[in-house]
Amino acid sequence: MASKLLSALTAALGPRQAANELRWFQQHTTSTSDLAEMVQRRVAGEPLQYILGPSTLFLFILVLNSILGSQPFGPLNLLARPPVLIPRPETEHWVIKLAERIPASPESPKRLLDLGTGSGCIPLLLCHLLPQGSLRACGVDISERALRLATDNAELCSTPTEARAGHKNTFMATNGNILSPSFSADAKINPPYDIVTSNPPYIPWDEYLHLPRSVSAYEDPKALFGGPDVLSFYHAIASLVRKNGFLRPGAIIALEVGHKQAQDVEQIMRIEAHMHDVEIWSDPWGKHRTVVAHL
Amino acid sequence: MPESPPSRTPPPAADSENVRLIRILEKRVEDRKRLTSELSEDLSSPSDIVRLKQLKETEPLQTAWDQWVNTRQLLEETDALLNDPDETMRALANEEHKQLSASLSSLVETTIPSLLIPSSTTANLSAMLELKSGVGGSESSLFLSDLLRMYLRLANVRRWQTTVVSQNENEGGGIKDAIVEVKGEGAYDALRWESGVHRVQRVPATEASGRVHTSTVAVIVLPLMEESDTTEELFSMDDVKVEVMRARGAGGQHVNRTESAVRLTHIPTGITVSMQDERSQHQNRRRAFTVLRSRLMDIKLTREIAERRATRQSLVRTADRSEKIRTYNFAQERVTDHRIGLTLKNLSSVLEGDGLQDFIYEIKKDHDESVLEDMLSTE
Repeated sequence: MASKLLSALTAALGPRQAANELRWFQQHTTSTSDLAEMVQRRVAGEPLQYILGPSTLFLFILVLNSILGSQPFGPLNLLARPPVLIPRPETEHWVIKLAERIPASPESPKRLLDLGTGSGCIPLLLCHLLPQGSLRACGVDISERALRLATDNAELCSTPTEARAGHKNTFMATNGNILSPSFSADAKINPPYDIVTSNPPYIPWDEYLHLPRSVSAYEDPKALFGGPDVLSFYHAIASLVRKNGFLRPGAIIALEVGHKQAQDVEQIMRIEAHMHDVEIWSDPWGKHRTVVAHL
Repeated sequence: MPESPPSRTPPPAADSENVRLIRILEKRVEDRKRLTSELSEDLSSPSDIVRLKQLKETEPLQTAWDQWVNTRQLLEETDALLNDPDETMRALANEEHKQLSASLSSLVETTIPSLLIPSSTTANLSAMLELKSGVGGSESSLFLSDLLRMYLRLANVRRWQTTVVSQNENEGGGIKDAIVEVKGEGAYDALRWESGVHRVQRVPATEASGRVHTSTVAVIVLPLMEESDTTEELFSMDDVKVEVMRARGAGGQHVNRTESAVRLTHIPTGITVSMQDERSQHQNRRRAFTVLRSRLMDIKLTREIAERRATRQSLVRTADRSEKIRTYNFAQERVTDHRIGLTLKNLSSVLEGDGLQDFIYEIKKDHDESVLEDMLSTE
């Protein structure tokens, strides 16, 4: 039976990936019918992360309104729910590196704004890695489903919202449209900020058409498609942060970019956002993945 | 009634190793005396605290020495009475002589050596236990799962915590390879001698004709280093190359496939560690570094053992991991450890974990004796 499932997976994913994924499915359930269903969904193109839920223990803690899924992110184990973008390992890599670069102290907590927060992975990982009491994070997204997921993830990670702070790092999710000219007025955001992060939609249309099914058929196009001008989000972010009083002295901005976009985004941050000291970080696959700018 | 001639035990000091042992003890006691004389009048100086601590620690040595001196003296006195004209007196003396000799032997052969052997530097370390199928195909994998069960049972008895970090099943049944973290005091010290090739002789479950097959499983036990364990750096991050396994094309938002496999290469030694069991890069990376630390620590410890100048060849050598150390013969229900030549006739007891403890005890004893030997040859 297992060998039939393995060959179905191998046809879809290749031998090594198939072996790994079958093992993760088997760790997840002992029921052969559940296993067969999982394999079927995976072969149809559904992302692994939407299929594999966290442990049953979490089921008792949270009330969820759709299919359970999970994605390990750093030391965290976040929920993944369609159509919210599944956290990527490239993002995991630069967020961990960013945590090491932030001088954090509970005496003077830093304020963080994450634009297009999705699952909340970026601010929540930083809340976990930085000393408790040193970070007040806010995540903005246009999608209500994303905001619900980010809120559920915050609860899963025991990260409170601002109101019930105590001595812990905090995170709050709020609705907003980055591209709207009235964004800073409409969204419940409160500059100035010490840190601005974003993994904004950056895929151009022609590439979007050729994405693998597990991405295009399951994840929110609004989280992926950069728009007719593929760099529109970066322009919007630049005009936002250059506003007077938006950033505190010593602020740092970290933006994930798509392949071949680093140079252009670096220029945008230098010229349009008036940032100094702009670096480009590579991801574990050698791609220029993050533009990091200092005020 | 004819009298048995009094048996005069040759003085234990005639044995040269024991002589050296006693001399070392004597020296330690003299050091102690000197330490006491160095104490200041009112015990006020900070170095007094260090001295007092050392005196406290070496108290058992003093006690053992006093006991030895005392017993020797009593033995001499009793010796004199062995030829006493009075029969009752002679009988009493005989009795006492026997008891005193026994005490002295116990002191010299057991108590004093155990006090003088330096405490193990590895006593607090946990273990990383790796099992790999060897010769024999599916049967080797089946035997591997038997051994894995054996070690997990042992860990249970010894109250160690076990985590199976990675495990790959074999298509034909059994387990192809596995890595287990065994956490707890003394875990490494007990399991380290399990490293080597374990051989099984039995009729495989899959064998129709009833013929006995021989297959092997390789066991490697490494010290498990917590991130905080190393007092000195085992390696520098500059020497480690971290590679991810697959090309991801455009990567990032373009791809949601789980690509978590990681490979570390420690450039100075050439050691590579591949890890792909976890679903996150970060988690695989952490595990891979743990394994790397273990392997580097193992090299360090092996080198230290090789550098010891034991005049007597220890029967237990750690260098050659490809050596066959134990044979499990199912047909004859027995297990033989080839290093110390010990055979236990209860195979099931060994596989349940209890009998295994007997092997561990004997091998550890052999190792301790070689450590002692080394100490004697250098003092």
